[in-house]
Amino acid sequence: MRNSQTSAMAAARRELAYEVISGGSGLLLALFMWGHVVLVGSILTGERGFDWMATMLEDYYIAQPTVFVIFTLFLVHAVFAARKIPSQLRERKQILQLAKGLSQSGREKVVTRTEYSPFRPHVESLLWIWQVRTGMIMLVLGSFHLVLLGIDIFTPLYGDIAGIEASTSTARVSAGLWLPYAVLLLCVEFHASVGLYRLAIKWGADLWLSRKTMHRLEQVIFWVVLVLGGVTLIVLAGWMDPPLAFLLDGTST
Amino acid sequence: MTQEHGTPSRRLKFEIFRYNPEDENSEPHSDVFEIDETPFMSLYIALNKIRELHDPGLQFDFACRSAICGSCGMVVNGRPALACRTLTSDLPEDIQLYPLPAFKLIGDLSVDTGTWFRGMGERTEAWIHERQAFDPEAEEERMSDDIAAAIYEGDRCIECGCCVASCGVANLDDEFLAGAGMNRVARFMMDPRDTRSEAEWFDVVAGDRGVFGCLGMMACADVCPKELPLLEVYAYLRRKTLGARFAARHEKKGSA
Amino acid sequence: MSARLITTDVLVVGGGLAGERCAIEAAAAGYEALILSLVPPRRSHSCAAQGGMQASLANCARAEGDNPTVHFLDTVRGSDWGADQEVANIFADEAPIAVRELAHFGVPWSRVRGGKNKYFIKGEHVEIDEALENDGLIGQRDFGGTAKWRACYAAAGTGHAALYAVDSEVVRLGITVQDRTEAVSLIHDGSRCLGAVVRCLRTGRHFAVMAKATVIATGGYGRIYGQYTSNAVINEGTGASIALDTGIVPLGNMEAVQFHPTTLSPSGILVTEGCRGDGGYLLDKNMHRFMVEKEPAKQELASRDVVSRHMQQTMRDGNGVDSPYGPHLWLDIRHLGEKHLRTKLLEVWDICRDFVGLNPVNDLIPVRPTQHYSMGGIRVNKDGESYGLAGLFAVGEAACWDMHGFNRLGGNSLAETLVAGRLVGRRVAEHAAGVSLRADTGYAFDAIAAAEQRATSWLSRAGKGRSIYEIRDAMGETMMHKVGIFRTGDELNEAVNELQALLNDCDNAVLRCKDPGVNPELGFALRLKGMLRLAMTVAMGARARTESRGAHFRSDFPLRNDEEWLNRTLVRWAMDESEPSFSYEPTGLIDLPPGHRGYGSDERIEMQRSIDSYNETVVHEQAQHGRLPSSEEMGSRLKCGAWQAYA
Ligand SMILES: Cc1cc2nc3c(=O)[nH]c(=O)nc-3n(C[C@H](O)[C@H](O)[C@H](O)COP(=O)(O)OP(=O)(O)OC[C@H]3O[C@@H](n4cnc5c(N)ncnc54)[C@H](O)[C@@H]3O)c2cc1C
Ligand code: HEM
Ligand code: HEM
Ligand code: SF4
Ligand code: F3S
Ligand code: FES
Repeated sequence: MRNSQTSAMAAARRELAYEVISGGSGLLLALFMWGHVVLVGSILTGERGFDWMATMLEDYYIAQPTVFVIFTLFLVHAVFAARKIPSQLRERKQILQLAKGLSQSGREKVVTRTEYSPFRPHVESLLWIWQVRTGMIMLVLGSFHLVLLGIDIFTPLYGDIAGIEASTSTARVSAGLWLPYAVLLLCVEFHASVGLYRLAIKWGADLWLSRKTMHRLEQVIFWVVLVLGGVTLIVLAGWMDPPLAFLLDGTST
Repeated sequence: MTQEHGTPSRRLKFEIFRYNPEDENSEPHSDVFEIDETPFMSLYIALNKIRELHDPGLQFDFACRSAICGSCGMVVNGRPALACRTLTSDLPEDIQLYPLPAFKLIGDLSVDTGTWFRGMGERTEAWIHERQAFDPEAEEERMSDDIAAAIYEGDRCIECGCCVASCGVANLDDEFLAGAGMNRVARFMMDPRDTRSEAEWFDVVAGDRGVFGCLGMMACADVCPKELPLLEVYAYLRRKTLGARFAARHEKKGSA
Repeated sequence: MSARLITTDVLVVGGGLAGERCAIEAAAAGYEALILSLVPPRRSHSCAAQGGMQASLANCARAEGDNPTVHFLDTVRGSDWGADQEVANIFADEAPIAVRELAHFGVPWSRVRGGKNKYFIKGEHVEIDEALENDGLIGQRDFGGTAKWRACYAAAGTGHAALYAVDSEVVRLGITVQDRTEAVSLIHDGSRCLGAVVRCLRTGRHFAVMAKATVIATGGYGRIYGQYTSNAVINEGTGASIALDTGIVPLGNMEAVQFHPTTLSPSGILVTEGCRGDGGYLLDKNMHRFMVEKEPAKQELASRDVVSRHMQQTMRDGNGVDSPYGPHLWLDIRHLGEKHLRTKLLEVWDICRDFVGLNPVNDLIPVRPTQHYSMGGIRVNKDGESYGLAGLFAVGEAACWDMHGFNRLGGNSLAETLVAGRLVGRRVAEHAAGVSLRADTGYAFDAIAAAEQRATSWLSRAGKGRSIYEIRDAMGETMMHKVGIFRTGDELNEAVNELQALLNDCDNAVLRCKDPGVNPELGFALRLKGMLRLAMTVAMGARARTESRGAHFRSDFPLRNDEEWLNRTLVRWAMDESEPSFSYEPTGLIDLPPGHRGYGSDERIEMQRSIDSYNETVVHEQAQHGRLPSSEEMGSRLKCGAWQAYA
C-alpha cells in the first residue's frame, strides 16, 4: 500500500518534470525562432546587413554556443514531446478520426439553425495532430539545417572565411534549398504559434486573455512571422532585391 | 414567435450506428432512417419516432430529456452532444449518430458511462474527507455564500461524458481523468470542508492520468453542454501541482 | 450479470436520493447493501429538482420564528388533511438534521449574506436586512404554501447537488451499485419478502437477489400520464407496480396526483414556479391575463392545484393557443429583464434556448399544466415497512409514508427522501439484524422462471396486434384528459373503460423486435401492463372518491368531505385478478383538527364525529388493513396540541 502510493507519487513527479521539460523547451525554441526571423531577416537590408550581423554574433562567440544549445533543446523537446504521440497506428487513426469529426461538425450550412445552436466550431484537436506532423517534418529538415549551420559556423566550406555569410546562404538557397526551407518555414511557424497558444491555455487559461483572443493572437502572430520569413526566403533565393536595402544606403562601403 | 422552427417540409435522413453485442449475428454497421421534421423536434423526439415507426430494436438512453441527467450523450455529426437538447433545426438534413467513443458499448447508441464515472470517483476519492463525525444536534458549519457559489459551479457537471468522449487522450486511456475528473478534483480542492492537503492530492492530479496527460486539445471545453470552464480548471490545477512540487522540495531542503 | 442468484443483507431497489440515503444508513450499521437502478444513480430523477428542500432552520429574516411545529402545520394544511399527522411530525422534526447532514456530505448550500439583501417579492423590489450573526448559515427562499421562508437551496440545482453528495457517500462506503438493472418482481412467501427478480438491462437476462430486507425506492409513476408529465422517462412506477402485483401489499391514495401549472409545451419540461414568484404572468391566446380576474387576490401565485385548474379551464373554453401538439398558454417573463433572466432564472433561460429555441427576453414561453408528482404509492407504516409483507420497505416518492396526503408542498419531497431515507434505513438495519437469510431458493427460482416466461411469451406472440407504443400514448391521453386536473364521474367511467380496453390490447399486443439481449421494445412491453394497472388504480380510486381534496378535484363533488372521506384509499390487485379491490383506512391519528387550509375555498363538509372517537379507531382499523407493528408505538411521535401556539 505505502509502496504503491510512493511509486505513484514518484511517477507523478516524473511526469510533471517531463511536462515542464517539453513545454519549457518548446517555449524557448519558439522564442528563439522569433529572434531567428529577425536575424535571418537582416538579409532584407541587403547582404551587408546580414554579414554584419553574422560576423558580430560569431565574433562575440554568441553563435557558436547557441547552435549547441538550440540543437540540444531541439532534440530534448522532440524526445519529450514525442512521448505523448500514441505509439500504435490504430490509436493514431482513432485520434485523427475524432479530431476530423470535431472540426467538421457545426460547419454545415443549415438554413434553420437558431442563434443558440450549441455547435461551436472546434479545431484545436486537429491542430494538435498537425503539430505532430509538422514536428516530424522539422525533426528531419531542422536537423539537416542545424548540421549545415553548425558546419558553417565552425569550418569554412564555400568561401575562405569561416562562418555564416550572405553569399553562401543565398547561393545554396537559390540553388534549390529554398524548397525544404519553405517547408521548414511553414512547419516551424505553424508549430510554434499553435504551440504557444496551447501552452498559454494549458497553464493560464484562467489568468490572462480569453481563449478566443488568444486564438486570434496566435493566428495573427502566425501570419506576421510567416510573411516575414517568406519574404526573407524569397530574397535569399535571389528572386527579389532586398526591400529594406535603402536603410543602409547612406553608409559607406 | 420570432423564429421559424424548422422548415416543415424537411425530410431528415438519419444514419445510425448499429451493433448489438448480445446478438451473435450482429455486425457493426449503420442503418439509415428517414422521418419528417416537426417544429421543436429534438433528437429525443426524433429517435423515439424512429424507434416507434421504423425499428423498435434501436437502443439509446434518455431519462430526464431536459439536459440535466446526462444520460443521452452521443456523437452527433462528429461531435459528442446531449441528444435531448439538440434540436434538429440546428442540423443539416443528413444526420449521423454514433455512440460516444471512450466508453464501453452496450448496444447501438447506448454506452456505459456509469462504470467510468464510478471508477473516476473512486480513484479521485471524490468525497469530503473530514475528521469529525456528523453531529445531528449541532448547527451547520458556516461558509461564505461566495465559496458556496464557487463550489456549486464545480458541482454543475452532469457526468454526461461528452468531454471524455471528445478527448483524444481519454479515448486511448480508460483511466485518464479528463475534463470531468479534473473538474471534480478541483471542486473538492476548493471545498474548505475537505481536509486533504495539496500533497495528498499530488499523485492523483499530477501525472499522465491527471493534468499532465492532457495535451491541451480543448475539445472537452467545446463540447461540454454545461459550458463548464474546464480549461480554466486545468490551468489552475497545473499551477497548483507545480507549486506543490516546489513547496515539497523546499520543505525537504529545509528539514535536511 | 452471469450469476443467477445473489444474496445480500439489504436490497435497495432505486438509486435516487431516497434509496441511496437508506442504503447508506444500512451500510453504516454494518450491513451489506446492494443498490439496483435503471440508470447510473446520479441520473435518477432526483437530480432534476431545482427549487429547494424544506427544513425549518429559521436562518433568514423572513424565516424568523419558524420551527418544526410551524412546518408541521403547513404540511398538514397543504395535504388538505390527507397526511398522517404523526409522520408529518417526524418529518418536520428531522428535516433540519437532514439538511445539515447534506452539508456534511458536501452540498454547497447557498448561504445567508448578512446585511442588506435585495429580493423581488410579488413583483416588487424589496430590501431586507439579514442579521449579521446569520451570515454564512444555510440560506432559505420562499415557496408556495408555507408560512415562512423555509426552502434551503443550492442555487437552482438543489436535487442535483444533493444527489451527487449522497452518491459520493455511497462511493465512499463502497456500497455496490448495479446500474442498468430493473427489478421486475418481488420474491415472497406470502408473508415475508425475500428479495426481487431483476432484469439486467445490458444483457436482457434475469437473475434473483435474495435479501433479509428489500427496500423499494423507485420514485414516481408520472409516465402513466404519457407525455403529459414533468417526470423523467424512467419514472414508470415499476416499484409500485411490482408491489401491487403481489396482491398482498396495498398502494395508498393512488388518485392523489399533483399537476404543475407551468411545464414547457410540448415537452413537459418543468419551468420553475420561480418565474411566477418573480413576477411572471400567464396569458391566453388573446394576450389576456386571465388569472387576475379568476383569483384577484393571489393572481398567478395561487397554489399549484388552483392555478392548474384555472389554466385548464381557460384552454377548455377555447382560449388556449393552438399548436401541432395541442393547446397551450403563454408564460410572459419578458418584463423581468435580461439581467434577471440570465442570473436568477438562468435555468429557465437555458431551457427555453435548448428546447424551444427561443429567448425569454423577447419571446413568450409556451406552457401548460402537466402531471408532476405522485403522492400515492406503496403504503407503509411509520417505519417504512409495507402493509402485508414483512421485510418489504418503501421510501421516497414510491412510498405512501404519508406526509403529503392529497397535495405535496413544493420542497417537501426532497426533504422527505432524506428524512425517510435515514429513518427507514435504520429500521431496515434493525430488521436485518432480526432475521436470517432464508436458504430456500425455491421461491427465487420460481420467480425467475415466471419472469422469463413473461418475456418469452411476449417474444413468441405472433399475429397482428396493436403497437405497445400506441397503447402507451392512448393511456397518456386518457389519463391526462379524463383523470386529470378536473375529474367527473362520467369521464372517470370512460377512463376506466378505456383503460380496460387498453389492458386487453396489451395482452394481445405483438412485438416487432425479436432481438435477443436488451431489446428495448420487450423491456417496455414488460412494464406496460404494470403501468396500465397503476393507471387503472388511479382512475378507479378517483372515481370512487366522491369529494374534492387537494389535487384530487371532482367537478361533480367540489367540496372536501371530512365526514365521509377523511381516510386513505388502499388498493390491492394480484396479477391474476381481473379487478383491483379497494378499501379505506383512517388517515391516522389526528392532532390538528380538519379546518380551512388558509387558501382556496373554505367550504367543506365537516366531520361530525369528535377527534377522540376518530382517533380511537385508528390503531385497530389500520392493523386490520394490514399495517405491521412499528418499532415505536403508534402516536409516540405526535406532539399533541403543540400547534395551538401557532394556529
Ligand atoms: C422536474 C421536477 C422538479 C422537482 N423539484 C423539486 C423541488 O424543487 N423540491 C422538492 O422537494 N421536490 C422536487 N421534485 C420532486 C422530487 O424531486 C422527487 O420526489 C424525489 O427526488 C424523488 O426521489 P426518489 O429517490 O424517491 O426517486 P427517484 O430520484 O426518482 O429515483 C428512483 C430510482 O429508482 C430506480 N428505479 C426505478 N424503477 C426501478 C426498478 N424497477 N428497478 C430498479 N431500479 C429502479 C431509478 O433508476 C432511480 O434510481 C421535483 C420533481 C420533478 C419531476
Ligand atoms: C524536432 C521536432 C519537433 C517535434 C517532433 C515536436 C513535437 C511536438 C509535439 C508532439 C508537441 C505536443 C506536445 C504536447 O502537447 O505535450 C509539441 C509541442 C510544442 N512544440 Fe514542438 N516539436 C518539435 C520542434 C519544435 C520547435 C522547433 C519548436 C519551436 C519553434 C517547438 C515548439 C513547441 C511548443 C511551443 C509546443 C507546446 C508545448 C506544450 O503544449 O506543452 N517544437 N512539439
Ligand atoms: C542556432 C541555430 C540556427 C542558426 C544559426 C540558423 C541560421 C540560419 C541561417 C543563416 C539561415 C539562412 C539560410 C542558410 O544559410 O541556409 C537560416 C534560415 C532558416 N532557418 Fe535557421 N538557424 C538556426 C536554427 C533554426 C531552427 C531550429 C529552425 C527550425 C526548426 C530554423 C529554420 C530556418 C528556416 C525555416 C530558414 C529559412 C529562412 C527563413 O525564411 O527564415 N533555423 N537559418
Ligand atoms: S464536464 Fe461537461 S462534458 Fe464533461 S461530463 Fe461534465 S457536463 Fe459532461
Ligand atoms: S480534450 Fe483532452 S487533451 Fe486536455 S484539454 Fe481536454 S482533456
Ligand atoms: S436525457 Fe437527461 S440529459 Fe438528455
